[in-house]
Amino acid sequence: MATTPSSQPIVHLSNVDKDYKLGAVTVTALRQVSLEIAPGEFTVIAGPSGSGKTTLLNLIGCVDVATRGQVIVAGQDTGKLAEGDLTRLRLNALGFIFQSFNLVGVLDAFQNVEFPLLLQKKMNAAQRKERVMDLLNRVGIAEYAHHRPGELSGGQRQRVAIARALVTLPRIVLADEPTANLDSVTGNQILDLMQELNREGTTFLFSTHDPKVVSRAGRVVRLVDGRIVAEETAEQYQTRQA
Amino acid sequence: MFTLLQIAARNLARNRKRTLLLGGAIAIVTVLLVLLTALFNGTQASMLRNATTLSTGHVNVAGFYKITSGTAAPVVTNYKKLREIVEKETPGLQSVVVRGRGFGKLVSDVSSQMAVVSGIDIEQEANFKNILEIVHGDVTKLSEPHAILIFEQTAERLELKIGDNVTLSSQTFRGAANSIDCKVVAIAKPLGMFSSFFSYVPMTTLRELYGFDPATAGGIQLYLKDWEQAEAVAARLRVELVKSGYRVMDHTEKPYWQKFDIVKREDWTGQKIDVTTWMDEDPFMRWTLVGFRAIIVIVFMVLLAIIIIGVMNTLWMAIRERTREVGALRAIGMQRHTVLAMFVTEGALLALISSTAGAILGVLAAYGLNAAHLKMIKGFQMVLMSETVTLLVNVPTVLLSLVVIAGVTTLGSILPAWRAARLQPVEAMHSSN
Ligand SMILES: Nc1ncnc2c1ncn2[C@@H]1O[C@H](COP(=O)(O)OP(=O)(O)O)[C@@H](O)[C@H]1O
Ligand SMILES: [Mg+2]
Repeated sequence: MATTPSSQPIVHLSNVDKDYKLGAVTVTALRQVSLEIAPGEFTVIAGPSGSGKTTLLNLIGCVDVATRGQVIVAGQDTGKLAEGDLTRLRLNALGFIFQSFNLVGVLDAFQNVEFPLLLQKKMNAAQRKERVMDLLNRVGIAEYAHHRPGELSGGQRQRVAIARALVTLPRIVLADEPTANLDSVTGNQILDLMQELNREGTTFLFSTHDPKVVSRAGRVVRLVDGRIVAEETAEQYQTRQA
Repeated sequence: MFTLLQIAARNLARNRKRTLLLGGAIAIVTVLLVLLTALFNGTQASMLRNATTLSTGHVNVAGFYKITSGTAAPVVTNYKKLREIVEKETPGLQSVVVRGRGFGKLVSDVSSQMAVVSGIDIEQEANFKNILEIVHGDVTKLSEPHAILIFEQTAERLELKIGDNVTLSSQTFRGAANSIDCKVVAIAKPLGMFSSFFSYVPMTTLRELYGFDPATAGGIQLYLKDWEQAEAVAARLRVELVKSGYRVMDHTEKPYWQKFDIVKREDWTGQKIDVTTWMDEDPFMRWTLVGFRAIIVIVFMVLLAIIIIGVMNTLWMAIRERTREVGALRAIGMQRHTVLAMFVTEGALLALISSTAGAILGVLAAYGLNAAHLKMIKGFQMVLMSETVTLLVNVPTVLLSLVVIAGVTTLGSILPAWRAARLQPVEAMHSSN
């Protein structure tokens, strides 16, 4: 059983650098980053603002490519893929939750969640409806299925976004500071929901600069100035914080 | 994808003010285009009707006879045989009128002027009587020998009244000077710019003036079921007449009365046939229509440019507002071409709805204007040969206007949509709100 595909790492980074060129100046946002994420993890990337969390998530999320080193996502070397293939990989293997939700304003909750399935073109309407309603139930907002984002609170919107991220049953869900735009009570509820979904089998990788959020993680990757300075469990992190 | 259409429709509905402004502009341009083309069609129809009554058929088979190389008589000999051939070889022929052609001087007691003199067999001319508005006299008297019909401008210039005599002088076809006294039997209301130097006499009188025998005529005027076939029919007749042994003149875009000097200088004798269309015989009408069409095209281009700029501007704004949304959609796996389709759909939907509304409004407005019997300003009355504004709504033209406006506006949305498709998904990750 040791070599079943599901035990292969979903994400594998080795010696990754990421440079941003601003005219003549080159900013190195990530240096020599190596990282593996295995199925079932609930991992947080922790670090102060500007430490490279977003950059790292962008590389793993296949919306940007590394300057040096190798990024393998769902078995694919992203540096070797064309734009269209990267887009397909994002659609089929990844789920995204954004800090500012980023729902389609003119579509209701149901349609927002259904959208990735429409892009995939794999399911018929009945199958899509079943899947979408199942997810809306799991994130606890089935009764708001026909409300548009403008009619929902921040926490409700993030729930819709989580349902949208999960609807394609992705290998991993990436979330860049998913609670940063929410008050702490709502933020905690969202983290509860993510944890619950993780127990049901979804792999999460999210970032935060909030120590309280870090404490919820199963594994903590600490980033400072674009380098991974420590890999620890949440308990180790908490002990050190104390 | 239906959802793209839904997104487009709802985004348009959400930005109601912007949508109404641009949609309204597109609709107004469509209304204008529909009205302008209807005015063009109406004008063309009335000009064509008038011109084909006064001086030309849709197609004319006429020619010149040169007894010596320095002369030119606007005449065909043995026209009956020619008419038989022509009738046989003209597809879609509706009716045939035979006219005499001449060009000479009208001399009254006080003044004189050059004039086109047409020989006419009034008993065979139904349209002529219907379309001309006779101010004084009686048009049926044109059947009497040495009668003449002139237009008001000529009557004024030469100070002629009904019953007055006017001397018609020209060269016979052998080259000698000849003149005939004619009696004014009818004075007609002007019909277009050229009526000031048009006059009509019976065929027999014209033959007498030129010294022609009864087997001659000026030309055979052909009226087609579909006047738009005129060029094609003329081209076909030129070929067929050559096959039947006639000598046929090269096609020149000029009326016959501008061809005398050219033909006189040419070095041949005997009969040559000249096949022309209404556009050749009425250059003024041709240039009026060409000018009118050019004005429509220019106005339309300017308006289209404004609309395109409007559409591009509106879409730029929409894209700027929705950058984050587009970035997110790209991140969750929407391909570039789908983003392009999403925004083009928005532009196309707006264009289609507004231009359809515009077309419907335009057609209604055209019927309304017709019903109001608006009088044209004096200057235009002369040029457009019509007293009232007549709009002719032509369904294919309206559909074409609609399709062109909707199509061009949609094209205008491609550039901004393409820029949107190039947006990087990282845009969505930017944490700032
Ligand atoms: N698009 C970019 N262009 C230039 N520099 C960038 C860009 N994105 C991020 N950076 C720089 O890279 C570093 C890491 O940024 P980021 O990954 O956003 O950090 P975090 O998400 O931890 O706040 C910062 O110094 C930032 O200024
Ligand atoms: Mg960040």
